[in-house]
Amino acid sequence: MLAVNLFNGLVYGALLIVMSSGLALIYGLRRVVNFAHGALYMLGAYIGYTVAMHSNFWVALCVAPLAMAVVGVLLDRYVFQPLQDHEPLNVMLVTFGLLLILEDLVAFIWGKANYSLFTPELLAFSVRFMGHDLPAYRIGVIVVGAAVALGLTLWLRFSKAGLFVRAASTDPVTTSMQGVNTDRLSAGVVGLGSALAGLAGVVAAPFLSLSPHMSSDVLIDSFVVVVIGGLGSLAGAFAAALLLGMMQSIGAVYLPEVSVLLPFIFMIAVLIWKPSGLAGSRT
Amino acid sequence: MAHLLRMLSWPLLALAAGAAIVLVTRSNSLLGMFTQAVIYAIFALGVGVLLRQNGLVSFGHALYFGAAGYGMGVVLTLGWMPAELAMPLVLAALGAAAFLIGLVIVRVPGIAFGMLTLAIGQMAYLLAARARGLTGGADGMSIPWPNTLFGVPQSVLLKPSVLFMVSWVVLVAVAVALACLLRTRFGAITEAIRDNEERARFIGIRTTVPRALVYALSAVVTGVAGLLSSLNTGFVSPENLHWSVSAITLLMVVVGGFRKPMGPIVGAVIYFLFKDLLGEYATHSMAIFGAALIAVIVFSPDGITGAAQRLFQRLWQQKKGEGRA
Amino acid sequence: MTSNNPSYVLEAQDVAIHYGGVKALDGVALTLEKGQIRGLIGPNGAGKSTVIDAITGRRPLTRGKVLLAGEDVSHLGAVQRRQRGLSRSFQRTSIFGGMGVRQQVELASHKMGVADSAQDAEAVLQELDLARLGDAIAGDLGYGEQRRLDLALALVGRPKLLMLDEPMAGLSVQESLDLARHLKALTSRWEVSVLLVEHDMDVVFGISDAVTVFELGRVIASGEPAAVRADPRVREAYLGSAA
Repeated sequence: MLAVNLFNGLVYGALLIVMSSGLALIYGLRRVVNFAHGALYMLGAYIGYTVAMHSNFWVALCVAPLAMAVVGVLLDRYVFQPLQDHEPLNVMLVTFGLLLILEDLVAFIWGKANYSLFTPELLAFSVRFMGHDLPAYRIGVIVVGAAVALGLTLWLRFSKAGLFVRAASTDPVTTSMQGVNTDRLSAGVVGLGSALAGLAGVVAAPFLSLSPHMSSDVLIDSFVVVVIGGLGSLAGAFAAALLLGMMQSIGAVYLPEVSVLLPFIFMIAVLIWKPSGLAGSRT
Repeated sequence: MAHLLRMLSWPLLALAAGAAIVLVTRSNSLLGMFTQAVIYAIFALGVGVLLRQNGLVSFGHALYFGAAGYGMGVVLTLGWMPAELAMPLVLAALGAAAFLIGLVIVRVPGIAFGMLTLAIGQMAYLLAARARGLTGGADGMSIPWPNTLFGVPQSVLLKPSVLFMVSWVVLVAVAVALACLLRTRFGAITEAIRDNEERARFIGIRTTVPRALVYALSAVVTGVAGLLSSLNTGFVSPENLHWSVSAITLLMVVVGGFRKPMGPIVGAVIYFLFKDLLGEYATHSMAIFGAALIAVIVFSPDGITGAAQRLFQRLWQQKKGEGRA
Repeated sequence: MTSNNPSYVLEAQDVAIHYGGVKALDGVALTLEKGQIRGLIGPNGAGKSTVIDAITGRRPLTRGKVLLAGEDVSHLGAVQRRQRGLSRSFQRTSIFGGMGVRQQVELASHKMGVADSAQDAEAVLQELDLARLGDAIAGDLGYGEQRRLDLALALVGRPKLLMLDEPMAGLSVQESLDLARHLKALTSRWEVSVLLVEHDMDVVFGISDAVTVFELGRVIASGEPAAVRADPRVREAYLGSAA
């Protein structure tokens, strides 16, 4: 029983890694707490659903993140960039306004019914591990989460673009003075972050059903992860995501009444002790 | 003396306006909508005073809105005391709890504060949604108001016109109370803290307690709205605690403009007016408000009241210029 | 030489502030006597503002002690030090931009526990030639007026100790001289002890009773103005041939 819960905790943690890394990247570069991220997740899921209905899951897995990347670039170009001198809280409210608009758009196009996406046939089997039957699809989700974490870490550490992103996150003015086109960089990073949100949406679709409200739940958990990990810190977000996934699933076994509260209690405790989060250095 | 009369004239005019609305409005459902708007205007005043005096954005004030209702529900169901006594006590308890919470959280800066309030609010929502038993869990609970409240029988009190008038009077009273409070030394202190927190400390102002007091004040005002709401509907549910309720009220405050005392009220009125006017497009109301929020922040960050003030100032300057020429 | 000598209204003993590998202050010793004006000079980045931050509690000490009239206040916050009569102005003007001039000065006076804060505020505003701007909103004032307001917020409430961080910054030569004269007259009349950080050599040597010279977070010379001016180490490090 515990092992299955641990496994599910890993699965949800992996999903949160994909979601929150996008949030953390966007915050690190643009200092924006992006409420619209939840909408991108939802759009990714719905677009993925539609594409999968017409072709298959794997095409959807490619198309949805790409579509969201485009949305992300537009978001940066027409929202984040023009508003970059505004108060961060104001920009946050603007992203909230966008969330409202996008939620309505989804309900308008796809209707308010709940949809389910079926697990792709290729992964519709179970793997026997330590006496339990683990769905292969969910193992796949964990693999995706790990791949994203690893890929982002390597990219940031070793690529030129990654270096620029790290520099621009720390000191945007100096970085642009050094000749780095920070606007193009931001567009790229926001695009990447949005693509990750879309990816999370498609990946989550088979095991969490689609509804116009799906953005809220994952969004709040992602906020908790990013805040606990330290706004802007990827490593912190990864650690916090896994921790959160674990906490919720283990809590469901031992402290079922309280388990949903654990992430929030933890976040409150962390914020009070260290307002910039566990690994973050700026608020 | 003249000054006092001038100060009193605004509230008196407002009260008269309320009476006029009741006399003019024939439709009960319309009055019902007005009442809701007034209740949310009070709610918005609570969120707004926090933003205005502390510069803090709360995404979790629905906590106090719903808690007031739940407080009344629990107290009245358990029959601990008469409703007339329960009402001020519930508000006092809310204020005290908010003060203690405030002491801890006002020290957390900017966005982190917003996230904290979001977390606390959601915790309350989840607790209420899951707690079966007395509070009814996800279904909510109905509130056993007594047959007479302050001597007024329920049959009279629950008439749409009476409910509206009661809410209206409370709104005016709260607005006046807030305006007076903010003119005092306390108001100056909190304004200084919000303006320049560091310098405030260096001129000898201890910054945590005044800000926690403002937080508690905003919670009590929101609680008043919650009480009225529980009287209006006779019911409270976890939905009253959801973060979307907090966010929408915040939307009203920002769109109305948080710098002017009337701003939150204007915001609430516009929200409900639009919802009603939109008619068949009402399902898209959220998107439209989202767009309105964006428009306001981009073009007029101090809201509609801010834009109105600037417009009047420009017209006034023009008139003065013309007069001289 | 450490001594908890209560005849000093202010004493800094072996004060050090280190952060991130930088030694902003490295073992600074300073004293201030009652009614004395001590000038702090030194090149940019020498630690002059940091010393004021250390004394007023704006920055925590890595090492050392700050004593006010013999009492160790090193662990007290800015509010508590202010209540003990320690007041400061800021190098980068720090005022309440949204509030009225008279209103904020009166608030500062009230917070110092002055009985008739309105009268005290008015007196300070008169001294600094801000009385006619009393009803203006601070944010609308010109640069020089805002700097005087920053000073007013520090002067009000009859402080015993005044830490002034480059009060003349951005003022013209004439404005600086006028302000220096004002300060000298005020502080002698009110028996305030002053620590003055300033770049303008004429001002510092003109009004100070004693001068301390900083370089790279350390004190390199201290004493009467004439002696300091003539000190070869100081000439070499700072004054060059200008003195």
